[in-house]
Order: sequence, then C-alpha cells, then structure tokens
Amino acid sequence: MNAMQQVEGAVTHHAPKISAKGVDVFYGDTHALKAVDVEIADKMVTAFIGPSGCGKSTFLRCLNRMNDTIDSARVTGRIVLDGEDIYAPRVDPVQLRAKVGMVFQKPNPFPKSIYDNVAYGPRIHGLARDKPELDAIVEKSLRRAALWGEVRDRLGAPGTGLSGGQQQRLCIARAIATGPEVLLMDEPCSALDPIATAQVEQLIDELSSRFCVVIVTHSMAQASRVSQKTAFFHLGELVEFDDTDRIFTNPGDHRTESYITGRIG
Amino acid sequence: MTPAKSLLVADPRTRARNTAEARFRALGLGAVLVGLGALLLLVGTILANGAGAFRQTYLSIPVMLDADRLDPAGTRDPADMAAVTTFGYAPLLAQALQQHLLERGIAMDGIGPRDLMAIISQEAPAQTRAMVLQNPDLLGQTLRIEMLAGGRIDGYFKGRVTLQSAERDANVTPAQLVLAQAMADAGIIETRFNWAFLTGPDASGQRPEAAGLGVAILGSLYMMLVVLVLALPIGVAAAIYLEEFAPKNRLTDVIEVNISNLAAVPSIVFGILGLAIFINFAGLPQSAPVVGGLVLTLMTLPTIIIATRAALSAVPPSIRAAALGLGASKMQSVFHHVLPLAAPGILTGTIIGLAQALGETAPLLLIGMVAFVRDFPAAPPEGLFDPASALPVQVYNWTQRADPAFVERAAGATLVLLGLLVTMNLIAVLLRRRFERRW
Repeated sequence: MNAMQQVEGAVTHHAPKISAKGVDVFYGDTHALKAVDVEIADKMVTAFIGPSGCGKSTFLRCLNRMNDTIDSARVTGRIVLDGEDIYAPRVDPVQLRAKVGMVFQKPNPFPKSIYDNVAYGPRIHGLARDKPELDAIVEKSLRRAALWGEVRDRLGAPGTGLSGGQQQRLCIARAIATGPEVLLMDEPCSALDPIATAQVEQLIDELSSRFCVVIVTHSMAQASRVSQKTAFFHLGELVEFDDTDRIFTNPGDHRTESYITGRIG
Repeated sequence: MTPAKSLLVADPRTRARNTAEARFRALGLGAVLVGLGALLLLVGTILANGAGAFRQTYLSIPVMLDADRLDPAGTRDPADMAAVTTFGYAPLLAQALQQHLLERGIAMDGIGPRDLMAIISQEAPAQTRAMVLQNPDLLGQTLRIEMLAGGRIDGYFKGRVTLQSAERDANVTPAQLVLAQAMADAGIIETRFNWAFLTGPDASGQRPEAAGLGVAILGSLYMMLVVLVLALPIGVAAAIYLEEFAPKNRLTDVIEVNISNLAAVPSIVFGILGLAIFINFAGLPQSAPVVGGLVLTLMTLPTIIIATRAALSAVPPSIRAAALGLGASKMQSVFHHVLPLAAPGILTGTIIGLAQALGETAPLLLIGMVAFVRDFPAAPPEGLFDPASALPVQVYNWTQRADPAFVERAAGATLVLLGLLVTMNLIAVLLRRRFERRW
C-alpha cells in the first residue's frame, strides 16, 4: 500500500492522461450519461463503480470510441487524450483503439491459436518487421500478462481451449501486444472464479506501473483492492470521484455512502 | 379436510397430462413414419423402374466390311465414303447376322429379313458407319462388331417385354423373342453395364436403346459452373454488405424484405425473365448453358444471401468487439474473423442453393434447353454458348416420348439426378463438420 501511495503522489503533479468535459451519451432517446467531467491520471488504476445501468460501462466505451459501433449511440462533449480531442473529426477510431486497448467482460479470444491471438494486433498495425520480432512481442506480451509460463509449450493450441482465467489473461496479453498507453477493462473478472480473479487483479496491479488502467467493476471490494482512484456513477451521473481510500472510508456524497454500505444498487 | 395426497397414486390431472403427452408422441412418430414410407415408396419405385437403364443388351457378330459397297469410289477418303448413308450399312449388318446364325445353326423359324433386322437397333448401322469413316483402313476386313440390340429385345432381357405382351405389340413378334433367347443361349447376345447411358448423347424417339445422358450431364455441370462463379461471390458480397456495413434504415429494410420475397418467386417467372432479358434483349443464344446458368444464378442468389446472412449473424458479437477493440478496421474484423467463422454456414447454403438449381426444370424450358441436342458442347468457356440439355429437362423430355423404353430411361436419369443431389448434400454436411469451429 505504501508503494502505491508513493506512485500516486508522484503522478499527481503531471497533466492527466485522459480528461473528459461535459460528456453526454444518448442511445436513441435514452440519455445514458449526463455531463460527466473526469480526469484520469497515467500509471495508476482508476475504477468506475456503481449499480447496473448507471453508465459506467458506457463511459468506458467512450474512451476508445467503441460506442461508434452502435448505430443509435450519440456522444457529445469533449474527451482529451494526451492533449488531443479523440472525437475530433480527423481522428480515426482505428488508430485510437491501437493506443487505447480494451479487455471485455467475457473472455473473447479469437478461435485461433494462442500465438495468433496475441500476434493479431501487431500484425494489422505492422509493429513487427519479421518473424523473430513478432515472436518477441508475443513473448513479452504473454509474460506481462503472467501467462507465458503456462502456455509457452503450446502457443499453437487454440486460445479457446484455455480455462476462463487463462483466456482473460490471453485477452489482456492480446490488448497490450499493440503497445497501448491506456488499458480499458470492462468488468474483466465478472466471468471468473475467485482464484482466477485474484490472478487477474494482481496482474492489473502490475500493469498499472506501465499503463493508465481504467477498470469498470461491480465489486466494491475489487475496486478497493486494485484502484487508486474511484469514480462512483449513479443513474447516468458521475456522483463522486476521489482517491479510492477516501471514497470507501469517508465518501462526500450520501448516495455514495448508501451504495457502499449496500443500501442502493 | 381432504386426505393427504400420496405420491404413489397419480391424480386425475397428472394422468390427463401424461395421456396427452403419449398421444402427441404417437402422432409425431406416426408423422415421421408416413414421411419415411413415402420416401421409401418413391425411391423404390424409381429404382425399380430406372435400374434397367444402367444395363443394356448388346449383340456381337463378325461383319465383313465390304469395300465395294462401302467405298464405291475406291479412294478410302472419308469425304467420298460419307456418300454411303446408314441405309447402305443396314443390309450389310442384316446379311452378317443371317450368315452368322446359319453358321451357328440357330433356327430362324418364322422370321423374315425385316424381322431379323429389327433385332438389331437402328442405331447400329450409324455406329458402324461412324467407326468406318473414322478408320477407313478397316474396309475389307471381317471384324467382330458389337452393336446395340433393338429396344424391344433389350426390354425382353430386362423383363419389360414378355412373349405374351409381344403378341399384342406391333413392334415385336414372339418369334423374334424366341430367336433372341436362342442367341443369348449361344452367347451372341449379352446384357451388361451401360456406360453409354452416362456418356452418350440423346437419341431419337425410335431408338430408346441408344439414348444417353452425356449432353445433359455436361450441360448441367456447365450451368452449375456459371451459377457457382456468379452467385457465390455476388451473394456473399451482398450479404456481407447488408449484414455488416449497411446502415439500418427503411431502404435496407425494403431490400431485405424483397430478397426474402425473391426466394419465394415461382421459378418459371425467372425463366420468363431470362427469356426476355438474356435472349431477346441481350441476344445470347438459346439452349445455351450460359443463359441457363444466368437464370439459375438469379434464382440461387436469394438462397445464398439469406444463408450467408444467417451464418454471419450467428457469429457472436464479442468476436467483432475483440477485433475492433484491437484497432482492426471494420473490414479487417469481417474478413479476418467473422467470415472464417461463418464459412461453414455459407458453404452449406451455397451447396443447397446449387442443389436446388441443379434440379430446376421450369425456367430452362422457357430458354430452349428442352431442345433435342445430340452434339456435345465444346470445352468452356466457348462451350458455355453451345446448345446443351440439362438433367431435369432430359427427364421431362423422355417422359414425353411414346416408346415405353423411355420410361426406364427417364427413371434412370432421375436416379442420376438424385445421386448428384445426395452427393452435393453429403459434401455440404462434410464441409460443415470439417470447418465447424467452437468459440
């Protein structure tokens, strides 16, 4: 815990990695997200918590413009990544998503080999000049995802044949293989058993030293375990955003307190 | 107070429900049995009728190819020799047969020269003539020539014609059948597998024994080629666009509904369309496999589009999200991930569409594929514009002919068609098994 606080202290002086101002999201006529302002710092874990349907996943999907793939979705407001507006007309979401990786709720490896799963991103982005370089990227990504030791002998085996926890770590390896700066995780442990959850949580902790990690979670315990900052969403609004310790010990808003103590949600 | 109910005794409601379920099971089983019975009856009838088409009666006798009569000019030039028509060859064969029977001591009681000649197919002189014109050096030699027996004689050895039926038949006499039996006993006549049925061209109404499916099979294959080359890429491209790229609005809804409707349009309408557009407007030749293929392409497209869309929408969205989340473009996510997963479904749909097209008759009648075609079309691509027949049309054609021997031929052709369809469906099943992947 001490080490984390030191990291936190070191980054608070820097400009935020992502800064959102007045973000509204509509799905058709439904106003899913209302005027969200948030600043997400680099090299730490930020958690989004809140009851189902509160808009936390919606906001996460704004950060790599995955909402673009839904026809009825409309996003207004400003989201700035490293000083650049990601909703500017000239921004190609394809390039953005190489920089902002995503891990989904349910492990979704491609029905291909473990190697091809990890190598797919580098291949389409042309990150490796030759096979040895690609091999190196695959190994590095699998190592960072704490999966290398378990799969090094069977890189040619199908990724779908792994256990749920291994599949999710494979998806994390796949996401970090494209060399992103931000890693978005949409309830990455909700389909996993407690042991696999613990492994992934430890991995998230390790990853936060290199990436800006944003995680959506249903589990308040998980948020308190892995994150340094926590945002509480309720009914499409960002109710409170503060240090995780503060949110869980001394929340500023009565709705946050109610949620944390289990009265709403 | 009612007494406590025992679990060991079924109450009336439970009994009624169980009875209803048993009744429903029995009805379902009955429906399945009726369907199976109908299928067995159908296949059995066709088999009983058509199996004979795969066997054919031949007689082989030594024939002296008389050079004076077959090449009066003496030049040995096929162009000159062609002046002798099949009528010049027929007496030669008749004489050879008579002489051979005399030598073997087979009695020809009550058989005149005409009756004797009728034992040999009318196709035999033509075949002999073709053989001689191809190789003039055969002239002057005595060769053992194998020739088709006449249709009624063939029928006798297959059980279609009997001594009783021959008495009422103007085309055959019991004496001929007795003689044929004697010839068979002497080994002059034999019945064996009939390759010519699969490889030979059609024959006229008087020569059912010579009629073959060669041109029809080739024509059907050419049409399937055209359908595959056109319908697969167009159908799959249309389906991918509609399913993955098209905006969901009123226009695409209208297109979707119309594609579904197109699948239900009677096939003869496509024939009229093909006649009007491809033949009358575009000026393509009649009876050509290319026109048949184009018409069948139009018919098959909705099937392929609908099957492909179903296969694409069955791919879980999480795969698309995974690819897009990695920074793949829409097209990369479709072609790298979605399409390979949908491929088994697309292949199955395509093969079922092709099988449907293979069995289609009505539109082909309208574009002239029902014509009598004896010449084989050339190799593709030129051959696609040559006149040809098609399997289902050949079946239809043969059922129109007077000679009962054509009933057998038509049933035999149906068997070939069914065999091809079953093969295609088997391939579809195998491909689906082979490429099916879990995710």
